[in-house]
Amino acid sequence: MTVVAYVIVILAWLFILFGLVAIFSLKNLYTRILSAATIDTVGTMLLLMGLMAASKDIADVIRLLLLVVFMLITGPISSHVNIRSAYLVGIPLDMKDGDGHA
Amino acid sequence: MDAREWLLVSTLVFLVVAMVASFVRLVQGKTLWDRILMLNIISTKVILFVATLAVWMDSLILLDIAISYGIIGFLTITLLSKFIMAGGREK
Repeated sequence: MTVVAYVIVILAWLFILFGLVAIFSLKNLYTRILSAATIDTVGTMLLLMGLMAASKDIADVIRLLLLVVFMLITGPISSHVNIRSAYLVGIPLDMKDGDGHA
Repeated sequence: MDAREWLLVSTLVFLVVAMVASFVRLVQGKTLWDRILMLNIISTKVILFVATLAVWMDSLILLDIAISYGIIGFLTITLLSKFIMAGGREK
């Protein structure tokens, strides 16, 4: 347990907080999905790396590394699939909230 | 309770608060895709919660549970999106 774990975990708190603010304040669906997914991926990476620095056993570190690689692959894919389904169903790209779609 | 445990427990509390805020947005639900996005974010927060709990309790089994929960969340989002893209229940 060093200062490194403190710094990384508190940075991860800040990123997750920014993601929540983005979800509650943006007005366009695509902007919301993009910002929420990217900020959330960065926060996940930082928190898992901070947990790696804070853990005591080497087996913990290996499993956390596996989890980091898995989240790095699947997080952008799932947000991409979500955005693609919204676009193919026919939501216009510049729709604001309350335009009457969906 | 030393500084390490304090950091991990406050991370757990913060993740629970973030999950409750995301759940409020899921219930409000502007569009269908907003709800799927909130489901994605809540599943990510649950994975982080279980991983933090595993490091706090020094338990290897909880980390395996976190990895398998990640697989289940990814499959949920992908299959729900494909179901909606194919027209949902109306087709």
